[in-house]
Amino acid sequence: MSKVTFNLRDKGAQFWDKSPRWRRVLLSVIFIAICYALPFLNNPILNTPGSDFQSVLFYPVGMYVMMAIGLNIVVGKSGLLDLGYVAFFAIGAYTMAVLGTKTSLNFWEILPIGVGLAMLSGVLLGTPTLRLRGDYLAIVTMGFGEIVRIVAVNTSAIGGSRGIAGIPTPPPAFKAKFTILDPKPYYWLLLTFTLLIIWMVRRLAARRPGRAWDAIRQDDDVAQLMGINTRRSKVWAFVLGAAVAGVGGVIYASQILSIVPDQFNLNVSILILACVVFGGIGNLWGVIVGAVILAFTPERIRFLSQPRILVFGMALVIMMNLRPDGMLPKKKREHLEADWDHVEESGEGEIK
Amino acid sequence: MSEVLLELKNVTMKFGGVTALNEVNVQVKKGEILALIGPNGAGKTTIFNVITGVYKPTSGEINFNGKSLIGKKRHQVTKMGIARTFQNIRLFGESTALENVVTGADIHSKSGVIGAIFGTPRSRREEKAALDRGLELLEFMGLRKRAGQLGKNLPYGDQRRLEIARALATNPQLVLLDEPAAGFNPAEKVALAETIKRIRDAGYTVLLIEHDMSLIMGISDRVVVIDFGTKIADDLPSVVQNDPRVIEAYLGAPADAS
Ligand SMILES: Nc1ncnc2c1ncn2[C@@H]1O[C@H](COP(=O)(O)OP(=O)(O)OP(=O)(O)O)[C@@H](O)[C@H]1O
Ligand SMILES: [Mg+2]
Repeated sequence: MSKVTFNLRDKGAQFWDKSPRWRRVLLSVIFIAICYALPFLNNPILNTPGSDFQSVLFYPVGMYVMMAIGLNIVVGKSGLLDLGYVAFFAIGAYTMAVLGTKTSLNFWEILPIGVGLAMLSGVLLGTPTLRLRGDYLAIVTMGFGEIVRIVAVNTSAIGGSRGIAGIPTPPPAFKAKFTILDPKPYYWLLLTFTLLIIWMVRRLAARRPGRAWDAIRQDDDVAQLMGINTRRSKVWAFVLGAAVAGVGGVIYASQILSIVPDQFNLNVSILILACVVFGGIGNLWGVIVGAVILAFTPERIRFLSQPRILVFGMALVIMMNLRPDGMLPKKKREHLEADWDHVEESGEGEIK
Repeated sequence: MSEVLLELKNVTMKFGGVTALNEVNVQVKKGEILALIGPNGAGKTTIFNVITGVYKPTSGEINFNGKSLIGKKRHQVTKMGIARTFQNIRLFGESTALENVVTGADIHSKSGVIGAIFGTPRSRREEKAALDRGLELLEFMGLRKRAGQLGKNLPYGDQRRLEIARALATNPQLVLLDEPAAGFNPAEKVALAETIKRIRDAGYTVLLIEHDMSLIMGISDRVVVIDFGTKIADDLPSVVQNDPRVIEAYLGAPADAS
């Protein structure tokens, strides 16, 4: 089985590499169109007995995908084990909840504030702690995640353990009305941001910041000796990851209408990390697939009611034994990019 | 000879009870190939490590172009114009040869995350420049064919050459090569000696750690000998070769030099 999927992955990648521009554009357009049409593709194979399919698409599936892409910048790209990722999600959600209920700002005005606050806390947490390596960083970030939740529980100004209710929905956009009854507009909103984030992440990965993260992940010392300011690169990775979670948090709060601190517990961080690892750490598409499967499967088998989490857990364990590197592991192909081919083959050149 | 590029003054490096370097004085002059030799564990790699900021010397001064390197971060030292290779190859194995070199060339770029996301003209220009620089250096080291191969999959000799290319990509004034010929056969050593000369002729200053005496004698302008963390000789290759203290340090045998 693993042979087959390997081949599919490599064949797919090869096909993409060899495709001319028009075909890439066409495939992308088709893919995006299918994503937007998903809420209408409620069929017996994909449907989720026991929960509303369109709601499932927004949460957990869409939400997990977005968060996993964000966490992958930190864990997959830069190799920083962050176990407190939920904190940035909580900060985004609480910003939406507090400002939405206490001020007259609307969703679109709160969004940049929420993202900004998530990024700011990323800087504040990252700057002192990112000198730590491996396990130590994991422990500190895990602590941070818990602290944010505990502070929320104990701060009565933001509702304490009862949280905040009555969070406003976003104003209508493009004739779509955001109401509790219709999850579709939220899904489309989330999808739009996710596509935007994918576009950004792909650019980052192919350029200087991505190379710096690759270097840091592989050998931090050597990265420094190659002139990379590794502290700054790591903080950037952290902050970008935080920004993605912040976007997720703001959107989530505006849909769910009320939040309580206990939603933002360690389990969320672990689950998102599981999506990243399960899908194939470091590989954007693997991570997306991982998040979709991990978010969707428990909903799909909800008819099993009680034993479903057990079944799901067992499937995970078996899966990770079969494919320890994830569904679609990052495997760098050896290749020559087309535009890297213009230099003539010869002996040894001159250097200036 | 001419201007002093790098100067170590009374540099001492202690690791707990071990004195790896003891009051070492070394001057590297612009445009020369200076060889650093000595028995195993003498402290040669430690000299590279204190220069590049891997370790902070216990005492002493290190000046590069008249500026102190003490307390500088590793990436700052590299930005000031010193690049190095490693005794145990430390490539980015999961990156392609070209990516390895371009990572070194990135040091000249100023655009960062924002530039990359929005594809600003400066970012594009710098990406192109780093790529061209990378290709140029692969070509220079005879690795152009390897551009798309992963670092870890390259043959051993190419890995060593790729490390040199990556170091040169940072456009240093001074290159520190830590046993670049280790594990090479005689023919490869001859080729490497030629390459090192070409590197010098291209305007770089080279500080070279090497065990192979004939290679050293053939290319270096000057030789510094370290033994038990102390400098015991510093002279022309022909003089050092016949220095009784050096011969003694190498257990009475002038290695395979004669
Ligand atoms: N980080 C460290 N901690 C403790 N001792 C160290 C450390 N680095 C080097 N040393 C010690 O310093 C001495 C010099 O080591 P160094 O690596 O500089 O030798 P070298 O001349 O490069 O030897 P070789 O030819 O084997 O590479 C050795 O005794 C080594 O054990
Ligand atoms: Mg050594």
